[in-house]
Amino acid sequence: MSLLEVKNLNTSFQIGVGTVRAVRGVSFHVDEGESVGIVGESGSGKSVTMLSVTGLLPDYANISADSILFDGREITRLNQKALRALHGSEIGMIFQDPMTSLNPLFTVESQLTEPLKNHLHMDKRSARARTLELLRQVEIPNPEARLKQYPHELSGGLRQRVMIAIAIACEPKMIVADEPTTALDVTIQAQILDLLQNLKRESRASIIMITHDMGVIASMCSRILVMYGGIICEQGDVREIFYGARHPYTWGLLNSIPKVQQKRGEKLIPIKGTPPDMLQPPAGCPFSPRCRYCMPVCRAYMPPVTALSDTHSVSCHLLHPNAPKIEREV
Amino acid sequence: MPSPMIEVRSLRMYFPVGNNLFGKRRQLKAVDGVSFDLYPGETFGLVGESGCGKTTVGRALVRLYKPTDGQIIYQGTDIAPLDEKEVQPYRRRMQMIFQDPYASLNPRMTVSSIIAEPMKLQQAPQDAIDARVAELVEQVGLKKDHLNRYPHEFSGGQRQRIGIARALAMHPEFVVCDEPISALDVSIQAQVINMLEELQQQMGMTYLFVSHDLSMVRHISHRVGVMYLGHMVELAEVEELYSNMLHPYTQALMSAVPIADPDLAAQSRRIVLQGDVPQPIDPPPGCPFASRCRHCMPVCREALPGMREVSPGHYLACHLK
Repeated sequence: MSLLEVKNLNTSFQIGVGTVRAVRGVSFHVDEGESVGIVGESGSGKSVTMLSVTGLLPDYANISADSILFDGREITRLNQKALRALHGSEIGMIFQDPMTSLNPLFTVESQLTEPLKNHLHMDKRSARARTLELLRQVEIPNPEARLKQYPHELSGGLRQRVMIAIAIACEPKMIVADEPTTALDVTIQAQILDLLQNLKRESRASIIMITHDMGVIASMCSRILVMYGGIICEQGDVREIFYGARHPYTWGLLNSIPKVQQKRGEKLIPIKGTPPDMLQPPAGCPFSPRCRYCMPVCRAYMPPVTALSDTHSVSCHLLHPNAPKIEREV
Repeated sequence: MPSPMIEVRSLRMYFPVGNNLFGKRRQLKAVDGVSFDLYPGETFGLVGESGCGKTTVGRALVRLYKPTDGQIIYQGTDIAPLDEKEVQPYRRRMQMIFQDPYASLNPRMTVSSIIAEPMKLQQAPQDAIDARVAELVEQVGLKKDHLNRYPHEFSGGQRQRIGIARALAMHPEFVVCDEPISALDVSIQAQVINMLEELQQQMGMTYLFVSHDLSMVRHISHRVGVMYLGHMVELAEVEELYSNMLHPYTQALMSAVPIADPDLAAQSRRIVLQGDVPQPIDPPPGCPFASRCRHCMPVCREALPGMREVSPGHYLACHLK
């Protein structure tokens, strides 16, 4: 059963020179206990999509959706107070940079007990017991001493663990991790990814992982959404995306990273050009200006979604029966 | 093998970091005795985590820092002890491409004046400068009408191209690329890497490629050195290093890289290191990696392992082998 179901989400920002249409008609679902990855470049709308769902965007953001169902409840119709209760206790957020998302003026303890007091209405003593338990759960050594410390006294890896402890404090049904390891070194990244996998196994919460790193996605997620220019251009399970991708942008992403067995001297195949300006996105497919297989129809019309299997669907005019048959270059 | 272009011998770079309780100066040993050779026309990859000293090595090599100790023998001359004036003739032969294309370009200067600046400093005639700027802009894939614009008008990838054009202006023999792609999007990274490779083929430059992206280092480098806490722990040809890594830190570092292939990722086993990288301020004696090493022996905490050649061209600093 799906835990989260989003239908036709649109998010735009009114800024001085016009309207930035960051998310344009995105629909997807996340099943219970599933880990879904959202990949895309900066400005593709991957973070804004999840921030719209979790209600963390500033007031000037214009969010509209046909429906956002979370755990059977229509959250587009909830009032501010109910939304706040839902977001704090049932959806946990982990952000990219723990230095900016933790409050530098408060100790680890006071930041960790805040959700416990506000959402679970715990008293001081049981909240303290729970914080120690949480710090042990995220494998922080010597938790008693850490409680008294401020974020600047912790290393990047430890800060991210504290962030994760806050996110799981109220045992949420869904954890949204927005580039959780991008700011960390590889060996610390490995520790955090290990921790997230262990937590997932124990808690059965769904995880939505937002990242630009195809390696992180391959090892962490069972299903992938590929976003470009504010739309989902391809989605499928992890094998369908890595071994059977059909969208030229997904091919481009996979081809522009060095392969594990790649020999020196073999050229990478970059995607030419730069991502679209979301103030004036192209009328048709957002990828058309950079696509090697662009046809006249691509510039004029947004491609329809073509389903290839229960899980795999692609938004590309190349999948039209009359379009030329093109395979991924390897 | 040809003779090395740059020989680095026991390079040390210490930074003072304030006083301890008794007023004694403490030192941050960013680079603590690193030796290696760079051969003409090669790309030498320098990898390690933040704080390992890889960027400091790069900066010391082009003499943005004056090393605390050690030698940098550049085609026969030791440039490490030279003062600012004496090092000037070497400056034009060595250039640097910086990590952050947002911070390394002056926002008040136009693209043409940014690219022309190194030539102005070397007092080239104006018409020669103009011709060279036009040539460079073409080489790095920018357009002529970009010349009178300012850096904020460009995307990250385009800015990095401007930085590369500036570095190439004086026909350098040696370029330090300090994390040149880590601020860029994946699809743009490949564009910049391909361009760096093409430029090297055309002009035969030597690169020191400093990066924490191990798969990109594997792609671009001929030889790779692995650094940890100011020390070089392993150095070998790229294929040798990636197929036959010997140092426990190299093994852990390589296994930690997420593999962008679900089937291979499922087969691979991650070696997860415990704890964080220690501070390089007053480090304990012995092997720098001893506190996190799975195979740590008593000797590792007492004596610093020296660099030895374990097979031709493969150097290792570890007590295990």
